[in-house]
Amino acid sequence: MIKKMSQYITLATVLGATAASVVPIEAATHKRQEIVFWHSMTGQNEKAIQRVVHNFNNSQQKYRVVSEFQGQYVEALPKFLSVGGTKKAPDLFQSNEISTKQLATSGMIEPMQTLINKYHFQTKGLQKNILNYYTVDHKLYSMPFNSSAPVLYYNKDAFKAAGIDNLPENPTFEQVTAAAKQLKAKSGQARLSILPYGWLFEELLANQNQNLVNHGNGRKITATKATFNNQAGENILNWVKTNADNKALVDYGTGANAGDSELSGFTSGQIDMFMNSSASLGSIKKDAKFNVGVTYLPHPQSQKSNGVVIGGASIWQAKGKSFKAQKGSMAFLEFATSAKTQAQWSVDTGYFAVNKKAYQEPILKDAFKTSPMLAAPLNQLQATKLNIASSGALITSMSKERINVQNAMENVTNGKSVKDELKKANSQTTRDIKTANEQTGDQ
Amino acid sequence: MKSSIRGHYLAWLLLAPTIAIMVAFMGYPMLKTIFLSSQLTDLAGNPIKFVGFENFIHLLKADSFQTSLMVTLIFVCFTTILTIVIAYGLALLTKDKFLGIDIFRTLISSTMGVSVTVASILWLFIFNPQSGLFSISLKTLHLSPINWLSDPLWSLIAIIGTTTWMNLGFAYLILLGSLQSIPDDLYRVANLHGASWWLTLRKITLPATKPTVFFVSVVTLINAFQTFGQVDILTAGGPDFHTNLMVYAIYQDAFVNHNVGRASAQSIVLTFIIMIVTLIQFWWRQKRQGRSK
Repeated sequence: MIKKMSQYITLATVLGATAASVVPIEAATHKRQEIVFWHSMTGQNEKAIQRVVHNFNNSQQKYRVVSEFQGQYVEALPKFLSVGGTKKAPDLFQSNEISTKQLATSGMIEPMQTLINKYHFQTKGLQKNILNYYTVDHKLYSMPFNSSAPVLYYNKDAFKAAGIDNLPENPTFEQVTAAAKQLKAKSGQARLSILPYGWLFEELLANQNQNLVNHGNGRKITATKATFNNQAGENILNWVKTNADNKALVDYGTGANAGDSELSGFTSGQIDMFMNSSASLGSIKKDAKFNVGVTYLPHPQSQKSNGVVIGGASIWQAKGKSFKAQKGSMAFLEFATSAKTQAQWSVDTGYFAVNKKAYQEPILKDAFKTSPMLAAPLNQLQATKLNIASSGALITSMSKERINVQNAMENVTNGKSVKDELKKANSQTTRDIKTANEQTGDQ
Repeated sequence: MKSSIRGHYLAWLLLAPTIAIMVAFMGYPMLKTIFLSSQLTDLAGNPIKFVGFENFIHLLKADSFQTSLMVTLIFVCFTTILTIVIAYGLALLTKDKFLGIDIFRTLISSTMGVSVTVASILWLFIFNPQSGLFSISLKTLHLSPINWLSDPLWSLIAIIGTTTWMNLGFAYLILLGSLQSIPDDLYRVANLHGASWWLTLRKITLPATKPTVFFVSVVTLINAFQTFGQVDILTAGGPDFHTNLMVYAIYQDAFVNHNVGRASAQSIVLTFIIMIVTLIQFWWRQKRQGRSK
């Protein structure tokens, strides 16, 4: 009996203590409005985004942003779509540029423009061409946050060792091919990587001032056809083929980790040239033990470079949140896009500062002085002509288009015909656009 | 009479939780999948319009589906056969007790404890075109390099190899158990009669382990059909859908391309294929059993 009693007492104490420890926490959090923020940043960039959130939470007493990593962009988007419109939806959701059309038409988000008007938020300070991407029908749908553009990275030390001149700031396909050939001759190994990745193809196409799809890249009215089966598309695939034929091309394949393998291949000195987002600058700066050169994305000699499409991601506001929560979201976005935060963020990650004034901040000014490789992406962004091609395509079936183009790039690397593959990818993308238009109901 | 009815009530009562769970977690999703396969769905997966068999017709016409179906069948065949043959071989090698045998047994069955993601990343390093073990070995032997994960043929071989390696631990452990349960007397008698090793294997070992081999083959086969993680990490279905196994294709359609209707149609096709293959296995086993009686 006594034994049982003591058991009861122990249990009661344990439960009581647990309950007691929960209560004060609850009480503390109840005072501040919680803003749930889903993001997709990993590695260096995850640390940087936590810094932004942490600084915001310490800067005021009214709101508390809770950041949650929800997998990479591809994984996070279906999660959001499955909880969108319910209570479980986060207040703020970071999503990549290609989901713009899909989210804008999903009915699960509150257009940023509505909140901007409601809470008198100023977007004047933000970069115009970045705002352009996320503007549909003259309405800003999401808040630019982490923007990047593709650049070409190369190993200056390896170039020197092979007796090759550094690449110019805005190189051509031909110059890259020549360098890759010389590097191969010198080392006996392929030293260039062109990742079979749809995004890269889109960027190389935009750089030749060509649209991916019709109807003004899907920005005037809904696109119905793919339009990349032309000289510009051929130029890209021919370039891939030439380098593959020269045996100067390393193929990291198409797996989920191919981009990471390519990046670590570069920083560990196994390849000397590759193209990727400027958002990799942070990791490269940290890991590469050699002089890194950064240039604009290459273009064919026959074609003037037009500039590139803004990549990266923006932040969306979920529909149906309370007045107080919306106000908190806006407070956070104002903080996150402020000159000071963006300057720090840009230094930490390599993303562009979306706020123009950030470039006046001492921290960013110093960074430009100490690492000159930060200059090329920004110069490229400023040299980019503001037109339809550089605004980027808006279609719901972007993921399909990427797979089609990726297959074409991979097949050409494996020796198939450029013309056939391009035609196949183009007509398949047209079919996919039609299916997606049926799904969304606009044809 | 009375007691039998009461017995039935009791039976139903005891079965109720299981039935409820089965209906909720298997019956309902299955019916929903059948329903969705006849629908055009919006981007969030909600049905918009009845389209009959259009999703199926589209699938059968699509090149990507044909490639995916073909590579899935090749993959499943090779993975299952290789897993069983290699696991059986290893089990035979380590059947008898000798010094240090436990180390070998532990090593061989250790792949069971490795998660799919970890194993895939491990193999990703091995297949790396520049610094991977295979690439370096080929280079040392002065052989021309192979693009393990981006050549249509080699990438399928790479996935088959990786999956076989992952399945090995489980198949080996079950087969080893079965081999060890064969009574020693049989071997002693065979020895007395001067039967060769080959004859003993054919007449005693193989027949005695047949039910286990059958069990392992069914499990490995169904597992192989459901392969996902290694495809995602190693190739993401590429190059040109040559490793786009069906479950991965379904995932892509449902969660990346947001076309739940098409994905549901594919799931139903996959269910039928697994059902037919399993039925063939059972039918074949019954036929063999009938003959041996």
